[in-house]
Amino acid sequence: MDRRAVFFFGAAIVCLVLVPLSNGYAWVSATVAGVYALLGVGSWLDARSHRRL
Amino acid sequence: MDDLLLVLVVAVALGFDYVNGFHDAANSIATVVSTRVLSPRAAVIWAAFFNFAAFLVFGDAVAATIANDVVVQDVLSIGMIFAGLVGAIIWNLITFVFGLPTSSSHALVGGMAGAAVAKAGFGVLIADGLRKIGVFIVLSPLIGLAMGLLLTLLIFWVFHRTRSTERLNQGFRIGQLFSAAAFSLGHGANDAQKTMGIILALLIASGHARAGDSTPLWVVLSAHTAIGLGTLSGGWRIVKTMGSKITRLQPVGGVAAETGAAVTLFATSAAGIPVSTTHTITGAIVGVGAARRLSAVRWGVAGRVVWAWILTIPGAFVISWLTFLIVDLFS
Repeated sequence: MDRRAVFFFGAAIVCLVLVPLSNGYAWVSATVAGVYALLGVGSWLDARSHRRL
Repeated sequence: MDDLLLVLVVAVALGFDYVNGFHDAANSIATVVSTRVLSPRAAVIWAAFFNFAAFLVFGDAVAATIANDVVVQDVLSIGMIFAGLVGAIIWNLITFVFGLPTSSSHALVGGMAGAAVAKAGFGVLIADGLRKIGVFIVLSPLIGLAMGLLLTLLIFWVFHRTRSTERLNQGFRIGQLFSAAAFSLGHGANDAQKTMGIILALLIASGHARAGDSTPLWVVLSAHTAIGLGTLSGGWRIVKTMGSKITRLQPVGGVAAETGAAVTLFATSAAGIPVSTTHTITGAIVGVGAARRLSAVRWGVAGRVVWAWILTIPGAFVISWLTFLIVDLFS
């Protein structure tokens, strides 16, 4: 799997772990987790399309 | 006697602020100097001015968090705060020698906590406040990284018709003036407020202010002046730039990194969350590099940031704990 996608998915997991600890800022952790998950998917698709070319 | 001690510890706090500006000057001026948009002299004046001007834009929410949300008010004393400051300063010196990119903010929080615990035990720590600070120790570089990466992608998407990267970079040289100003504003806002918080805590401890009071104007002005003067004197000596240490930055990347970090600092300052300005800009620069490919990032520097995350609060905590025990012997 693309290394960049792995990094982004890892960051998303870290942010998800922080959600229950974030009190009033849980929405920040959840949003950042969502952004990294999307970046992970985007990066994975990008790497896959490059491999097919 | 107490007033003399108070003045002395306020001076130490302002010294801490000055060193913070001195140390972090490179973060603010790295890209504008390396791309020759400004000379080093003009760049430090530019950054120092916006460090100082931050007091006009941002309130004192971060200062209130440092003064009220780290340890309970009853435990505050001049000796305790002095021990916390000394612990943070010693920790910063140790990590400076070993080249760890630690955060003065985290050292300050760890130092305050260590000295307070040495004085009255773990019960004096405010769990909610420390948890908020702890969560954003991890989140702020990650937000900076995402912002740097997304802004880079956005810029290249908007200007995708521009065939010449050289022409694009030429245009963004001017943009760097504004992004560097924005980052310096965010740096001044978040970091000067930490010193404001320490001085406010000192005023509360000595009976010159009450819990919940807003920060007096002289504290606001002196903290912003100290960080501005530190930046003014620090930028000269720091030749190695943050940009070239982590990834090679062009003006486009410089604008994206500084803007991404500035937005993160504006938001956290407004919300009263003390974060590391160094870690935030480091995250944003990594984000710009990662927009190209992960191998464009020198991961050694990013790895040292992670070590700094892990070690700073416990390190400053222990040193301040010991410092308080020594201070207590003489008081």
